[in-house]
Amino acid sequence: MDERKQSGNGIPLLQLRDLVVEYYTRSGVVRAVDSVDLDIYKGEVVGLVGESGCGKSTLGMALLRLVRSPGKITSGKILFKGKDILTLSENAMRDLRGPEISMIFQDPMTSLDPLQRIDDHFVESIRAHDKHISKEDAIKRAAELFDLLGIAPDRLQDYPHQLSGGMRQRVMIGLALALDADLIVADEPTTSLDVLVEAQFLDLLKDLRRRYNMTLILITHNIGIVAELADRVAVMYAGEIVELGDAGPLFAEPLHPYTDALLGSVPNIKLDEELKIMGGQPPDLLDPPAGCRFHPRCPYAMDRCREEEPPWQEIQPGHWAACWLYAEGKRETLHG
Amino acid sequence: MAEHFIAVENLKMWFPVQQDFIEGLFSHQREFVRAVDGVSFHIDRGEVFGLAGESGSGKTTTGRLILRLLEPTGGRIDFDGRDITHLSEAAMRPLRRRMQVIFQDPNASLNPRMTIGKAVGHALEIHNVAHGDKAKERVLEMLTRMGLTPPDRYYRLYPHQISGGQRQRVVMARALILRPDFLVADEPIAMADVSVRAMLLDLLRRLKDDFHLTYLFITHDLATAKYICDRIAVMYLGQIVEIGSVDQVYSNPLHPYTQALLAAVPVPDPKFRRTAPIPKGEIPNPIHPPSGCRFHARCAYARERCRTEQPLLLPVEGEPGHFVSCHMFGENGWKPVAQEVQI
Ligand SMILES: Nc1ncnc2c1ncn2[C@@H]1O[C@H](COP(=O)(O)OP(=O)(O)OP(=O)(O)O)[C@@H](O)[C@H]1O
Ligand SMILES: Nc1ncnc2c1ncn2[C@@H]1O[C@H](COP(=O)(O)OP(=O)(O)OP(=O)(O)O)[C@@H](O)[C@H]1O
Ligand code: SF4
Ligand SMILES: [Mg+2]
Ligand SMILES: [Mg+2]
Repeated sequence: MDERKQSGNGIPLLQLRDLVVEYYTRSGVVRAVDSVDLDIYKGEVVGLVGESGCGKSTLGMALLRLVRSPGKITSGKILFKGKDILTLSENAMRDLRGPEISMIFQDPMTSLDPLQRIDDHFVESIRAHDKHISKEDAIKRAAELFDLLGIAPDRLQDYPHQLSGGMRQRVMIGLALALDADLIVADEPTTSLDVLVEAQFLDLLKDLRRRYNMTLILITHNIGIVAELADRVAVMYAGEIVELGDAGPLFAEPLHPYTDALLGSVPNIKLDEELKIMGGQPPDLLDPPAGCRFHPRCPYAMDRCREEEPPWQEIQPGHWAACWLYAEGKRETLHG
Repeated sequence: MAEHFIAVENLKMWFPVQQDFIEGLFSHQREFVRAVDGVSFHIDRGEVFGLAGESGSGKTTTGRLILRLLEPTGGRIDFDGRDITHLSEAAMRPLRRRMQVIFQDPNASLNPRMTIGKAVGHALEIHNVAHGDKAKERVLEMLTRMGLTPPDRYYRLYPHQISGGQRQRVVMARALILRPDFLVADEPIAMADVSVRAMLLDLLRRLKDDFHLTYLFITHDLATAKYICDRIAVMYLGQIVEIGSVDQVYSNPLHPYTQALLAAVPVPDPKFRRTAPIPKGEIPNPIHPPSGCRFHARCAYARERCRTEQPLLLPVEGEPGHFVSCHMFGENGWKPVAQEVQI
């Protein structure tokens, strides 16, 4: 942790400050990302987890300023290498997408051109990054990357639809590498893949991050994947990050009751534990509960939880949570 | 075969491949997707029998064959001591009440314009089991059992007015309203949110006991299967490669494919990070399945024999009910590879 903080010029690659993203729907305003603070350091993999509708994708899209209408970033700052990208022109933003921040989606077909062969995608990316490179050299580099990705080089001439889902996802990560992107945001990259192909893809990510010191924000509802790959984990609930910390301590001793309940409800193939069932369901973001948004489902909720929003606090070094249990000195409640 | 509740023998489902006109002119043979290609297993009364395997391995097709929603290409299906392989639709009708199915996507299974009460009670009317107030009473009771309380409120709601997890419970209520004794659950929790999954799994377990049900539980998630199944079969390209009790298959997996699948399951705890890499390669085309052992192209242990000769599903000595289909098994010196080391 400390080592990471001291690396580079000391400032995080990406800093989110009080970020708010809202959807203006006919029935009202949905605050899908609510006052999020988050720092991402060079070379780390940060997992962003939470259940459907909690705002993960909205947060991911906001980092590229690609939130879809009727959504809008309404306040806060997104500092990328110290510069607020919310103040950039649309043109400057376009230059940033790809070479600086790359995004990978669950369905890679949405980002690949169906009429372009895979090698053309690579040549374009490589030459966009390095204007002096010849086409031949670009193809050679693409073939090298393909080798690294574990795809036979003769597939370079295929069209996207001729590749399997797993290969397409490899191509996506390869394109981000070809551009030498500083930050990769991957939104449910393995969700449509089969278990073995998913595990192969995770193996690839592990290998690539070692080679390239890749910085990755991994958005997923699959807690197993985050446990497998992430250095740090951010847990989202109803538009807010409720807990953030290094993967080890967060999984071993979750601080927020939601994290605790979430982890308890996932079957673990290595153990024979009964599942803990979390009652209720996430709130309607058009009308979220007052106080702590988790209070209607929280087994530890106190009066204060129903009225006041809990503060975002560093409970242990590098381990943050928003929960009244800590301000009230009742942390044994969770881990007695 | 008669002693088992459900018994399937050498079951086959080959789907003809749609060829375009020109292809059809020049090829002399019709081609087939061998979705299910010689599958045998049984399910005892009260059991939860799991079918696992990657996408396209033939799990859903197997389920649909047992429900007689598809006409098998070959083999035999016995249901409660009776050969139903070629029963007519009319002869199947009384059995239909006893076998029900729930699918992955509750949205696709529910009519958006039908209230929940109607959707759940519909089958009672169709099968002439109960009408009017009697039917409503049974629906309300069923909704209560599903935890959809107060039931009279849910009775009047439409599918879009409730959450996805609640919708799946409505689908379950509808499946159970006729008091079946056999339920095919095809990835019933795959679409649900993490916290909802645990609730649905728990409900499925309780319903099994309350209604004396027998399940065919189809899933690609081996962690879920471990939680709910008593026995399990692992399918690959239309065939069973390993079968046994959950305990046998999980603690002593013998087929390299089973071993790979088990190792690939992401564990929700960084303490158990995988150290061994996963074998490369993807599922081959089911129209031209590989010769010999269908897994040979992806198998780290494959030898000449694996490429030419199809292995048989053989019993594992000392483990009654555990069968594996791999040439290495039983050979001198062959020992199951240890699962990766825990760190
Ligand atoms: N285009 C839109 N219009 C209105 N509301 C939207 C829109 N897109 C998202 N939302 C709302 O914003 C909230 C966050 O959605 P988002 O897609 O970011 O969640 P998510 O965590 O990525 O969920 P999932 O796991 O299902 O992908 C949800 O409540 C959703 O209903
Ligand atoms: N009606 C059909 N016509 C032609 N081919 C079919 C048909 N139904 C299934 N198949 C093919 O049969 C094979 C097995 O499909 P099936 O749906 O049984 O697999 P599955 O194990 O349930 O997969 P999944 O995990 O994706 O649901 C696949 O190759 C599929 O494309
Ligand atoms: S603030 Fe209160 S309601 Fe919210 S998680 Fe903590 S204890 Fe539970
Ligand atoms: Mg999303
Ligand atoms: Mg299926």
